[in-house]
Amino acid sequence: MTRFFVRRLILIVLTLFVVSIAIFAVTTVLPGDVAQVILGKGATPQDVETLRNELGLNRPAYSQYMGWIGGIVQGDLGDSLYLRRPIAELLQSRLTNSLVLAVFAFFVAIPSAVLVGIWAGTHRDSRTDRVMSTMSMVAISLPEFVTGMLLIVILSSTLHLLPSSSMMLPGTSPLTRPQILIMPALTLTGVIFGYVMRMTRANVIEVLQCNYVRTAILKGLPMQRVILHHVVPNAILPTITIVAASIGWLLGGLIVVEVVFAYPGLGRLLLGAVETRDVPLLQITTLIIAATFTFSNLAADLLCAVLDRRVRLS
Amino acid sequence: MKKEPHSSTPLLELDRLAVTFYTPQGTVHAVRETSLKIQRGEVLGLVGESGCGKSTIAWAIMGYFQSLVRMEGTIRFKGKPFTKMLPSELRGLRGRRIAMVYQDVVSSLNPTMRVGPQLEEVLRENLNMGKQQARHRVIELFENVNLAEPERVGQRYPHELSGGMQQRVVIAMALACDPELLIMDEPTTGLDVTTEATILDLISELRQRVNAGIIWISHNLGIIARIADRIAVMYAGQIVEQAPVKALFRNPSHPYTVGLLNCVPGSTAITEARTKLATIPGTVYDSKQPTTDTCLFEPRCSIAQDSCKSGTPQFFDAGDHHQSRCSYWSDVRPDIWGKNEPVIEAPEQTKAKPLLTVTRLRHFYGREQHRIPFIGPVGLAPVRAVVDANFNVGPKQTVGIVGESGSGKSTVARNVVGLLSRSGGDIHLQGVLLEPRVEKRSRKHRAELGIIFQNPAAALNPKLHVRHAILRSLWKFPKLRGRVARERAAQLLESVGMDASYLGRLPSELSGGQQQRIALAAALAGDPQLIVADEPVSALDVSVQAQVLNLLREEQRNNDISYIFISHDLGVVRYMADEIIVLYAGHIAESGPANSILKPPSHPYTETLLSAIPVPDPEVTPSRIRLDGPVPSLRQIFKGCFFAGRCPRKIGPVCDGVMPPTVANPNSPSHIIYCHIPLEQLSEIQTTSTGL
Ligand code: SF4
Ligand code: SF4
Repeated sequence: MTRFFVRRLILIVLTLFVVSIAIFAVTTVLPGDVAQVILGKGATPQDVETLRNELGLNRPAYSQYMGWIGGIVQGDLGDSLYLRRPIAELLQSRLTNSLVLAVFAFFVAIPSAVLVGIWAGTHRDSRTDRVMSTMSMVAISLPEFVTGMLLIVILSSTLHLLPSSSMMLPGTSPLTRPQILIMPALTLTGVIFGYVMRMTRANVIEVLQCNYVRTAILKGLPMQRVILHHVVPNAILPTITIVAASIGWLLGGLIVVEVVFAYPGLGRLLLGAVETRDVPLLQITTLIIAATFTFSNLAADLLCAVLDRRVRLS
Repeated sequence: MKKEPHSSTPLLELDRLAVTFYTPQGTVHAVRETSLKIQRGEVLGLVGESGCGKSTIAWAIMGYFQSLVRMEGTIRFKGKPFTKMLPSELRGLRGRRIAMVYQDVVSSLNPTMRVGPQLEEVLRENLNMGKQQARHRVIELFENVNLAEPERVGQRYPHELSGGMQQRVVIAMALACDPELLIMDEPTTGLDVTTEATILDLISELRQRVNAGIIWISHNLGIIARIADRIAVMYAGQIVEQAPVKALFRNPSHPYTVGLLNCVPGSTAITEARTKLATIPGTVYDSKQPTTDTCLFEPRCSIAQDSCKSGTPQFFDAGDHHQSRCSYWSDVRPDIWGKNEPVIEAPEQTKAKPLLTVTRLRHFYGREQHRIPFIGPVGLAPVRAVVDANFNVGPKQTVGIVGESGSGKSTVARNVVGLLSRSGGDIHLQGVLLEPRVEKRSRKHRAELGIIFQNPAAALNPKLHVRHAILRSLWKFPKLRGRVARERAAQLLESVGMDASYLGRLPSELSGGQQQRIALAAALAGDPQLIVADEPVSALDVSVQAQVLNLLREEQRNNDISYIFISHDLGVVRYMADEIIVLYAGHIAESGPANSILKPPSHPYTETLLSAIPVPDPEVTPSRIRLDGPVPSLRQIFKGCFFAGRCPRKIGPVCDGVMPPTVANPNSPSHIIYCHIPLEQLSEIQTTSTGL
């Protein structure tokens, strides 16, 4: 187990290393000169040149990269070019905000989706199953910005139940006004819920056809026990992997949702960085997203290994 | 205990049972009017080819169907019809009064649950036992089925157990509530012969103790002969013959039964000269066809008369509880399918220059793995799948390789054709060294080595017509194009007994036997010198198996091909091979001419394989040399004899510490045995104990 873990960890570090090179390479070849962007259109060529020197943009690429990655390893994330503030400081509140939203969505969506999925799978083709399946299909096929807009129109503009924007004063926590979380979280939940529910349902149906479930039924066990002890544990396993994969999706959705609801999270920060050509900020946020992605995959693998003894050493 | 109601009431009775499935592909008449009775303490064998409805009967009794189904007729349990039982009463039968052991053991156990709790829950639910009580009972049950370490087996997960142990667990589960009826659906299919033999021993021992009625479903007459009291032969969803086991084997009274008996390669005594198997032509009556008012066996029957087409034959009583559903039962003779002709032996090839020479072939899977990546001590040694195998294949010769699963036989095959690249040793074809990997080999070499797999469907592209499989091979080596190629393809198909119309079919439209014929035709297209056949018939029904084996021999004679023929079934290998190699744990235990191998002296491992073959003759007392103990880990390097861990004839510490010598049989110098026991002594113990 530890072996498995150590191996995976080493692999992750390697992956992130490669990813960081890729990010760095892509962002440095982006069109547009950073110094020019900072100084604006009216700057003289000398000013630009001085700033380029100051920022180290005239050094060879590998030394720039080493400087950058070395800084990150030592905890120095650099400064945002546009906002002129240390990135670490910016990240702090944005990261917490996004996390609050993601966790909120995640812990509502996944458990309910799994439960509904199990129910639908064991009551296949019943009317409720059909209704649920159709609804989840709709939820999956609607992009987040559409769902988000729909929610705003219904809950906010028409019913006036919730504020349409989730903007906050800098430095405040979203938890002080939980009502602003509801719509972004619901939007985010929609797709994941539909997806996870359909997957769980499909897995349950598949497991129900397995020979060991047949054995369990023919042993004379009551159906309830068969489902709880034989179907669910086996159907849950592949679902976990899917949930882990959907974390990436969640991150993508997060960015859109944050934009739609003007919610000050990591996604908006990333978007802002793109709009303002804030290369250092862009690099760090992308790296954070990549890291979240790999680590959540590791977590899912570990969880599977604990639950399913067969995958232990593979 | 309550007295049995009437001793004459059968335990279970099927009264004109018919089961019809309604599937998207059409209506399937799985069982057509079957009547059966079984008493307590009796073992009823149910035989027939696949698609004859044997398993459906089992599911009907268990009341378990997943698709849309219509059942007609009545099933009575101790005289009470299922239809008159309340749902709760029926549920109470399952698992308690009627239990089942399944064909595919691995998939029948919940992979994420320890095996102990899987049994405990049966006891707790059905017999309301407490936790402790159930746990103790489970240990007892494990003892009953001879599982080693019964206290600890329960702690393991199914995948941590070997196939034989898994099957014992499933049997223990079935016995948990002392059932009155036990249904065994091919419980040993898929297990190694040696494991199968121990399971059969277990069941014959249990049947004395449990006093239940047992329905044993199998396609293997050898097994049925050993275990059953009475046999019912099924064809096309009907019972065609029913008789006590000895009567059935001595005097089979339905042409189908005779055919089934004929086509088992193991049915003649071990040392007898090889014979051409008499086979039943054609395929099983399609279960999608409705029942007609004729004898359903008529299209395949060798003694069919015109009257057979007008009217379904009734059961005729051949006396002695022997019934046959053939109007001409009294004309049924053992030779109605033609005699099992002796095969013309190819002249001894030993002097001829070998076609293929394999020297010190090694194949190791996996590299050494360190405990911490890249550094640290070695945690996992490679799997030594084949270690220093030497053998030759002569022109027009068949070399059979036998061994249990994991013995390395498929690895040898794949190294020869280059699907795996060997870790060491040389392979020469006609004196030319072959590259390890097939991609590096010349076209000519590739064409000269054909391969046939166990599962022909895997080798054929399911989306392409049969034509493409053959044309592609023709195109690759003989470089035939256009009309010439098409004509040759048709010719090849004819040579494997199928007409040219099959060229336009998809693989999925063909039966397993037909697919295997196509695979053979494709292999023949390159005009090969040697075909490696890896378990080519083990997925096929006996009658089809016999057809394919005959075909392989015929092609050998017509095209001067050599075969490396791999099988776990010594009966089949004996039928095919001139030379036999016995593999165990990656090591050759014994090799030499077939005739000599099958007679004492044999390597102790060969001896266990021989005695494990179920002989389809109830009068033969099976020999009881059995393998036990776990299969050795292939990651170790054996200090002494590779077989020492399980050898029934082990003579002492010398076996563990010293590598066995290479001993040649003086009567047949090319027959080599690796064992410490002197040959005369081996010969002596084996003659007296097995009666070979
Ligand atoms: S009834 Fe006729 S066709 Fe049927 S098995 Fe007997 S002889 Fe053959
Ligand atoms: S050498 Fe010993 S252990 Fe090996 S086969 Fe011979 S008797 Fe058995």
